[in-house]
Amino acid sequence: MQLKRVAITGVGAITPLGNNVNALISGIESKKSAVEYIPEWDNNVGLRCKVGAAVRMENEKLIPRQNRRSMGRLSIFAVQAAEQAVKDSGIKTEQLTGGKLGCAIGSTMGSAESLAEAFEIMAADKDISNLSSTKFFQCVSHTAAMNTAQYLGITGYVLAPSAACASSLQAIGAGFDLIRLGKQDIMLCGGAEGLHPTVVGSFDVLYATSSNYNKEPKKTPRPFDAKRDGLVCGEGSGILVLEDFDLAKKRGAKIYAEIIGYNTCGNGSHVSESNREAIIFCIQETLKSAGLNPKDIDYINAHATATIQGDKEEANAIREIFGDSVPVSSLKGYIGHTLGASGAIELIASLVMMQKSTIYPTLNLEEPDIDCQGIHHVLQLEEKKIDILLKNCFAFGGINAALICKKYGV
Amino acid sequence: MTEQDAIRMTNEVFADSFEIPKEKLLPEANIFNDLGLDSLDIVDLVVALQKKFQIIIRSDERVRNIRTLGDIYQFILTIKKELNK
Repeated sequence: MQLKRVAITGVGAITPLGNNVNALISGIESKKSAVEYIPEWDNNVGLRCKVGAAVRMENEKLIPRQNRRSMGRLSIFAVQAAEQAVKDSGIKTEQLTGGKLGCAIGSTMGSAESLAEAFEIMAADKDISNLSSTKFFQCVSHTAAMNTAQYLGITGYVLAPSAACASSLQAIGAGFDLIRLGKQDIMLCGGAEGLHPTVVGSFDVLYATSSNYNKEPKKTPRPFDAKRDGLVCGEGSGILVLEDFDLAKKRGAKIYAEIIGYNTCGNGSHVSESNREAIIFCIQETLKSAGLNPKDIDYINAHATATIQGDKEEANAIREIFGDSVPVSSLKGYIGHTLGASGAIELIASLVMMQKSTIYPTLNLEEPDIDCQGIHHVLQLEEKKIDILLKNCFAFGGINAALICKKYGV
Repeated sequence: MTEQDAIRMTNEVFADSFEIPKEKLLPEANIFNDLGLDSLDIVDLVVALQKKFQIIIRSDERVRNIRTLGDIYQFILTIKKELNK
């Protein structure tokens, strides 16, 4: 069976640096960090990390009430990013409802804020009588996909990969596979996540968060740096329009890049500890799926969240496959770790780097840790032609994912 | 509770919970056809009225007969009267 080619024809993003792709890129180019001290988190007993990268939500009331009532924060982000991506791609309303367009939008879980509210309502007196009708729809794991599909009238596949920090890359991979196989012509793919102290707490209890920079929030997270002390949670959504390459070309669509390789796999060893061998296997399988050698990759957008162990394993895996020949950078220093949205948001920024032949440096990386050396860290903005890029995502639960994009026309 | 209290407080529920402009909140307004509520909204209406008036109406069969805002005003006054007996 001849597999179809898959193009990326639209992008949209809601991020801590601003609520569209231009604002995200402009923030990154000005080396701006969206990480801030969040005073309300002082009320959470035991929470060590008091910094986060929040979205300034706006225009949510433009979403009609009867759509909005089933949306928590992350679904509002997803819907807004999806609207941007659809507009950017130029696809028509009738395509949204034609049955050959689907969506795959992942998140770690449903809206954390809504889940906390639901438990507060129900748990105190074991009484459900004050629970609103739509709280359930805000809390379910497929809330972002479900709400986006309902809002846009999507009648094709509706999928919600839930694999923590690999959710959105898995969603993009699922869309890639569905189009390659001819099951769908177009897929809106990506992820969304909402910032909430309970989410930060899930990392904080494992000592995986940054806690030494609460008074200097702009200095953290510090991917690959000797003084890194953990991740900083962010929020937002990134959505990409994936499209049958031939159909996209036929309608004269703007093509950002072609997806040519993807793999996801379990590490089979530990729920929270990254594993160098498993990362190597994932990247090698991704290269194999694209029919490429390591030397063909021009840029690696790392997962690198600034945890002690995760960064070390990723750097060592990259070193073993690529040596120090391929530039590597992480965007977590600018927008924190947007968890289930990170793969999509960071892929979108990487596509801009591809377009501009420019590599954005890892913010807060001043002195690469001895554990993370031997790879080409990007410390200052680099100008380089990027024909092919690799995006990594590694998740709690021991789930890895990697994706390769090729510049259109190369 | 006076009839005016019931009207004012019910209208506040419709404005706050369902974002309906005050000028549309007339006693004869049908809550489905004129105000646009659907089956999910009715669940939330019951929850909001319970909270607003400190009453329990979740299992009250009379809720099913409500069609207009005026029906709600009268229903609330009836419930309050029953509670005062």
